[in-house]
Amino acid sequence: MSADTVIDVQGLTKSFGRFRALNGLDLQVEKGQVHGFLGPNGAGKSTTIRVLLGLLRADGGSTKVLGGDPWRDVVDLHRRLAYVPGDVSLWPGMTGGEAIDLLGSLRGGLDEKRRDELIERFELDPTKRGRQYSKGNRQKVAIVAALASDVELFILDEPTSGLDPLMENVFQEVIGEVKQRGASVLLSSHILAEAESLADRLSIIRDGRIVETGTLADLRGHVRTSIRATLERVPARAALADLHDVHLDGTRLTATADAGKIGDAMTQLAPFGLAALTVEPPSLESLFLRMYEPDADAAATP
Amino acid sequence: MSALSGTAPLLRATVRHDGRSFAPWVLIATFLSASSVLVYPWVFPDEQDRTGLATAIGANPALGIIFGPAFDISTTDGFNAWRSLALGGFLTALGAIFAVTKATRGQEDSGQAELLASGVLGRGSRLLAGVGLALIGSLAVGVVSGVVTGLCGGGWEASMLLAATFTASGWMFAAVAAITAQLGSDARTASSLAVGTLAVLFLLRGFAYSMDAPQWTIWANPLGWMTETRPANGDHWWPLLYAVVFTVVALAIAFALQARRDFGQGAIAPRPGPAHGRIRSTLRLALRLNTGQIITWLIAFAGLGVVFGYFTMSIHDILGKDSAVSAILAAGATTPDELTSAFLVTILSLVGIIASIPGVQFMLKVRSEEMEDRVEPVLVGAIRRQRYYVSNVLLALALPAISVLLAGLVIAALASTADIGVEFGDAFAQAVATVPAVWTVVAVSVAVIGIRPQVSLAAWIGVLASFVLTLLGPTFKLWDWVLAISPFWHIPNVTDSSADRTGLGWISLVTLFFLVVGFAGFRRRDIAV
Repeated sequence: MSADTVIDVQGLTKSFGRFRALNGLDLQVEKGQVHGFLGPNGAGKSTTIRVLLGLLRADGGSTKVLGGDPWRDVVDLHRRLAYVPGDVSLWPGMTGGEAIDLLGSLRGGLDEKRRDELIERFELDPTKRGRQYSKGNRQKVAIVAALASDVELFILDEPTSGLDPLMENVFQEVIGEVKQRGASVLLSSHILAEAESLADRLSIIRDGRIVETGTLADLRGHVRTSIRATLERVPARAALADLHDVHLDGTRLTATADAGKIGDAMTQLAPFGLAALTVEPPSLESLFLRMYEPDADAAATP
Repeated sequence: MSALSGTAPLLRATVRHDGRSFAPWVLIATFLSASSVLVYPWVFPDEQDRTGLATAIGANPALGIIFGPAFDISTTDGFNAWRSLALGGFLTALGAIFAVTKATRGQEDSGQAELLASGVLGRGSRLLAGVGLALIGSLAVGVVSGVVTGLCGGGWEASMLLAATFTASGWMFAAVAAITAQLGSDARTASSLAVGTLAVLFLLRGFAYSMDAPQWTIWANPLGWMTETRPANGDHWWPLLYAVVFTVVALAIAFALQARRDFGQGAIAPRPGPAHGRIRSTLRLALRLNTGQIITWLIAFAGLGVVFGYFTMSIHDILGKDSAVSAILAAGATTPDELTSAFLVTILSLVGIIASIPGVQFMLKVRSEEMEDRVEPVLVGAIRRQRYYVSNVLLALALPAISVLLAGLVIAALASTADIGVEFGDAFAQAVATVPAVWTVVAVSVAVIGIRPQVSLAAWIGVLASFVLTLLGPTFKLWDWVLAISPFWHIPNVTDSSADRTGLGWISLVTLFFLVVGFAGFRRRDIAV
């Protein structure tokens, strides 16, 4: 493994009883990058993360976190990473401030100035008891506890699922700062806009294995761009070799084209006279819908 | 929409899903009652054996605290009434408390209640469904145990009356739990309040009878009404009416309180707390999470020490009242000092068994914290798993030990002031000798939570086995090797210089074994699965 890889997972398997949660998963996260980790519910995101944290023991495959073994080198590794769980549960009688300080000091101390600054930016009241917080506020407690520490790697499991859009913005800013500091982030998320704006690379997991990994542009390359046009003359289908899924309603055309062949498609359309034209790169949504579909295997594995 | 609409379907669903939670209580109560009827003629076939049993019970008043008065144990039904009435009622009441708490506060804590409350459901419906489950469950305990006991050869009237006291106890404490569920703001507080009330009334009844206290102390205690039904010794049915009235009144109070409080809140509103924390270690965390429990238990054991201490002070009077015991004393077969020190061993074993309960509770708390996702963030700190576990195990071993020593100290101090031949040092040394047995019982739960937390109920095995073997074992005339399964059987009488002390070494080895198993298991297993 190269010195620039902070997480390196090869062929990871994990079963619970007869249920196979992870099925030969590969995952690499480069140093200094934000790596988006996406997939439908129950695909194995949290299981993967909990293996990386040494909470679950892998059945097979190799797992390296910051160059160490997450099961054996627990104390060393945990000093160098911070974690925000997906379901934050706080001690009912303990205040948010107390929980932040406890979790911080168990990791080996946190940056007091940064702690107070984050509490202010996230508009968190640290004097409330655990049982009084809403879901979003519990999440803020976990986020502040993790991000107030000066570590090399952040592992975030759907950290913003309860935050309002305003706080979501603050979160994105803070992750940007963390990245500038040179830290690496593994960000599991359902919020596509978040992944789109934050992640340098993405991995998509389904049924316990990674089905797609790369930059957003790489992933988009696999999905066709959609084209809608109003023409002046009804075209001959034979002339439109580079357009797929062609649907004609009089002179109104909808079709798709491969990302690399958009120019050719335009050339083929031009002779029929373009009265109106919309060319849309695949949205992340359509990308995911394709990846998540149960029968997407054929499409996903080239 | 009335305050109770939607109760019927909810109650049906509750009975279907949580009804089985009553099964253990039905089984235990039935076993307790039916086994007495089956075993008695066989173990105590003739008059001489029965007199011997009566003498043994009279000579050890510690048994009276648990079982209540032995009105007449020369008949099968009388023996059954003595052996099963107090415990059967106690267990049914526990089942009722847990059922009510789970269906009310437990659901509010877990969020299920919110789903339900947003449906077409009256304000009082959830409470009524929980109470309904407890009432039906208690009734099942009574019917099943009464019929089975009758079929096993018990007299029908005595057996059914005895079984009816189980049901009545369950009903009364279902109502008590319905009140405490309005007072405490979470499930743990609510059930602790109700169980605490039950335990205090239970002990007070035992004392009222053993100490020959004035009649009103018995009639002021709802559990006293149960004993006053006197199955097989008069068969009074009318005290059960008091129980029904008590249930109705307490339920009315509970529903009035329920109508006043906010969802998910208790009578006491939380105040803002510190913005900064000072807890820096897992041991401090374990202490903090259990502070309330620790204080409650320590107060309880100081109280237990006072009560048992006073009891010990009057031991000679209590023994002297029993004619059979007086006879064997007069014949020189034993001395009052011997009986007194045997009594001290029993009473401290009893304290020890009770003290192991908080130990097991602390270990179960480790599991519940894990299942509520609060252990993960802690273990993701720079913490070895063993260190986290050790912090909790230390607490689970220390509190029971301190509790036994505290109660022992008070008992020793009180007993040594009375002229009954008990030295302070001896009595306290007896308490110290009890501690290793308590640790063995707690270590069982350390092993269970470490290696197979999915079967967390198994953590109670040690407590249950010790209780059954130490207190019920002798009434079965069980063989020594069976009785020796209870670690409390190995506690030597410290005043007896010829007593075998190696037993403490053996049970400590067993303790060590369980601890090692628990630590190895916790280090290797998956968390929160």
